[in-house]
Amino acid sequence: MLHTLIQKELKSITVSNKFLVTFMICSLLLIMSVLIGINEYKQAMTQYETVHQMADERIQQVSSWHSVSYREHRKPSPLMIFTSGLSYDIGRWSDINRESTVKLKNSIYSDDPIFAVFRIIDFTFIVQIIFSLLAILFTFNAVNGEKESGTLRLIFSNAVPRTKYILAKCIGTWLGLLIPILIPILLSVLIVMLFQIEFSSQEWIRLVLLIFISVLYTSIFIVFGVFMSTMSRSSNVSFLLSLVFWICFVLILPRGGVMASGNIVSVPRIAEVEGMKVSFAKNKWENYYKDMDKRLSGSEHNDDSEEDGISDDMMWANLKAEDSLRKEVTREIEGYEESLLEDWKNKQKAQQNLGFMLARFSPAATYQLAAMSLSNTDISLKSSYEQVMKDYREEFNSYIDKKSENAGPGAGSIMITMDSDKGMDLKMGRDEAIDVSDRPQFVHPKTQLSKILPDVIVNISILLFMIFGLLTGAYFSFMRFDLR
Amino acid sequence: MNENNKQVILEAVNLTKKYDDGVLALDNLNFAIYENEIFAMLGGNGAGKTTTINIFLNLLEPTSGDAKVCGVSSHIEPLVVKKNLAYVSENVMLYPNFTALQNLDFFSQLGGQDSLTKDHYQEVLIRVGLAEQVHNNKLKGFSKGMRQKCGIAIAILKDTKAILFDEPTSGLDPKAGYEFIQLLNDLKGEGKAVLMSTHDIFRAKEAADTIAIMNDGKFLMKEKASTLFDKDLESLYMQYMAGHAPQPASEGV
Ligand SMILES: Nc1ncnc2c1ncn2[C@@H]1O[C@H](COP(=O)(O)OP(=O)(O)OP(=O)(O)O)[C@@H](O)[C@H]1O
Ligand SMILES: [Mg+2]
Repeated sequence: MLHTLIQKELKSITVSNKFLVTFMICSLLLIMSVLIGINEYKQAMTQYETVHQMADERIQQVSSWHSVSYREHRKPSPLMIFTSGLSYDIGRWSDINRESTVKLKNSIYSDDPIFAVFRIIDFTFIVQIIFSLLAILFTFNAVNGEKESGTLRLIFSNAVPRTKYILAKCIGTWLGLLIPILIPILLSVLIVMLFQIEFSSQEWIRLVLLIFISVLYTSIFIVFGVFMSTMSRSSNVSFLLSLVFWICFVLILPRGGVMASGNIVSVPRIAEVEGMKVSFAKNKWENYYKDMDKRLSGSEHNDDSEEDGISDDMMWANLKAEDSLRKEVTREIEGYEESLLEDWKNKQKAQQNLGFMLARFSPAATYQLAAMSLSNTDISLKSSYEQVMKDYREEFNSYIDKKSENAGPGAGSIMITMDSDKGMDLKMGRDEAIDVSDRPQFVHPKTQLSKILPDVIVNISILLFMIFGLLTGAYFSFMRFDLR
Repeated sequence: MNENNKQVILEAVNLTKKYDDGVLALDNLNFAIYENEIFAMLGGNGAGKTTTINIFLNLLEPTSGDAKVCGVSSHIEPLVVKKNLAYVSENVMLYPNFTALQNLDFFSQLGGQDSLTKDHYQEVLIRVGLAEQVHNNKLKGFSKGMRQKCGIAIAILKDTKAILFDEPTSGLDPKAGYEFIQLLNDLKGEGKAVLMSTHDIFRAKEAADTIAIMNDGKFLMKEKASTLFDKDLESLYMQYMAGHAPQPASEGV
C-alpha cells in the first residue's frame, strides 16, 4: 500500500513539467556557481602563492635585523567553492613585525567592492534560497491539490489509512525532489574533481556532510509544503501561507535574530574602547611625568650636596630606575588595553551567541551556520587566523631578537657614536642580506573536523527536529482534513 | 436479514446527517440493499444522495444512525468497509499525466488487487466501452464520458460486493448509457449490490430493482421496480415532488 502510494507520487512527479524545469534550474545554477567558485578559488590560490613568494623574496633582501618584517597570508580553503561564507569579507594578510599588531587586512570585497553589492552566488546560497523555494513550489498543493482535482475522494474510497497516505506524500515528494537536486549536486562535485581541485580527506568528509545537511534543509521545506497543503482546502491559500512563512523563516528571522541580539546585548563600539584606552594611557603618562618631575627636583636637590664623580653613577641609576618605571607604565597600559579588549570580545561573543541562537529558529540560519563552519569560512575564521598569527608573531619576534643579539651590536643597524674629539660618527651595519632561512615557519590554522563536529551535530539535530516537528504537524493537520 | 434468503450488503439504519451549518441533509433514512440488487435513488438537487454515499465511504460521519456494509458500520471500521465498496463519483477525476492503464493499475493496487495484468485492464476497459487505441493515452486528453468509463472500469476491477454509483450516466452518450445499463445487469448477475443515485428516471426504471424517490433527506417513495412496471414513473415522480403523494402513500421510509 505505502509502496504503491509512494510509487504513484514519484511517477506523477517525474512525468510532470515542473520536474523537468526544476532539474534544469538546479543543474544550471549549480554548475554555474561551481564554475564561478572554482575560478574564484583558483584566483585566490594564485594570488596567495604569488604574494607569498613575494613576501619571501622581500624578506631575503632585508639587510638589517631591525627592519625585518614579514607578511603572512591567509590560505583559501577549497570548500569556499561551495560555501564562500565570509572568505570574501575577511582580510587576506597581516604584517608580522614588532611595530604593528596582527590584523587581517584587504578582503576581496574591499578590493573589489562591486562583488560585495550583490554577493557571490554559491552552492549554499542556491540551496538556502532556490532549493527551499523549489521545495515549496513542489509541495504547496500536495494534498489539497489532489482534493481540488478530485482524485483524493477516489483514493480514500479504498482502504487507505490516512497515516500511510500522508507519509507516502512526504516520502514520495521527497524522493521526487531529491532526484532533480541530487543529480546536479553530484554533477558539481564531479566538476570539482575534473578541475583537479585538491581536497584533503577531511575536506571530502566535510563536503559529504555539507551535501547531507543541504538535503536535510531542503527536506524541511518539502515537509513544510506538505503540511501547508493540509492546512487549507484551497491550494491558493496554502501557496500564500507557504510563501509568507518562507519569507519569515528564510529572509527575516536570521537577520531579525542578529538584530534583536544587538539590542539585547550591547557591545561598545571599537572606537569607544580605543577612546577608553587612550584616555587611560594619557592619564597614566601624566601621572608618571608629574611624579618624575617630583623625583627629579628631589634628586637635583641632592645633587647640590654631592660630588660630581658620584653624581654620574647616580644619574645612571636614576635613568635605569626611570626606564623601568616607564616600562612599568607601559605594561600597565597594555594590561588595561588587554582587559578592555578581553571584555569587549566577551561581550561580542555573548552577542554573537545570542544572535545565532535566536537565528537558529530559522532553518536557513541553522543551515548557513553549519555550512560555513563545515567549509571553514565561518565567523571564527578571522579570530582563529589572527590568533595563530599572533602566536606566530611572538615566535617570529623572539627569533629576530635572538638573531640580532647574536649578530652583535651594530649588526645590520645604524650606529651613532659621539666622541668629543672626532665629533659625531654615523656607522651603517653590514650591507649584505641577512640569512633568514631558519626563521620559524607559519603553520596555517586547521580546525579539526572533530572540533566542529559537536557544533555540526547540534545543527543537524535542529534540522532533524524541525523535520519531525513539521511531519507531526502535517500528520495531525491531515487527520482532520476534509477529504470530500 | 433475509429477503428470499439473500444477504444484506448495504444498509442504512436511522441514518441522519445534520451539517455544521444546520442543514438537515439526511433525515432518519432506512433502507437495505441485498446481493443481486440494484437500488436507485431518484431525487432533485440537494436531496441528500451524495451525502448518503459519502457516509458509506466514511468521507462524512453520520450525526446519528449507521451506514453498514456487510453488517460493518462505516464510521466504526471504515477500512474494513472500504474493502467491500467500490465507488464511481459523478465526475470521475483521475491522474491527468497517467495513461488510462496506469490509472487503472494504481487504483487497482490501492483496491487490493495487486495480481492484475495489463490484459485484465484492457479487457475491462473494452467492456466499459473504451476503445483500445486510447488505453495508452494520457487522461488529460479524455472527455468526461471517457473518464467516467475509466472510473467504472476501476470500480469493476476492485471486484467488491457493493458498488456505489453517484450519477453514473451523467456525461455518457446514449450508446454508452445503454451499455452501462447492460453492464449493471452483468454486475448484478455476479451477485453484487448496487446503490446508484441518478436524475435519470428512464434509466432508473430500466435498470433498478428498487427505486426510491428522495427529497430533503427522506424517501418519499420506495418501491420494487416490478410493482411500478405499469405506472408512469415520471408523473409519479412529479406528483411526489409536488407534495401530493398518490394512493397508498406511506409506503416509503
Ligand atoms: N458541506 C456541506 N455543508 C453544508 N451543507 C451541505 C454540505 N454538503 C451538502 N450540503 C447540503 O446537504 C443537502 C444534500 O446535499 P447532497 O450533496 O447530498 O445532495 P444531492 O442529492 O447529491 O444533490 P445533487 O443531485 O445536486 O448532487 C443539500 O441541501 C446541501 O446544501
Ligand atoms: Mg450529488
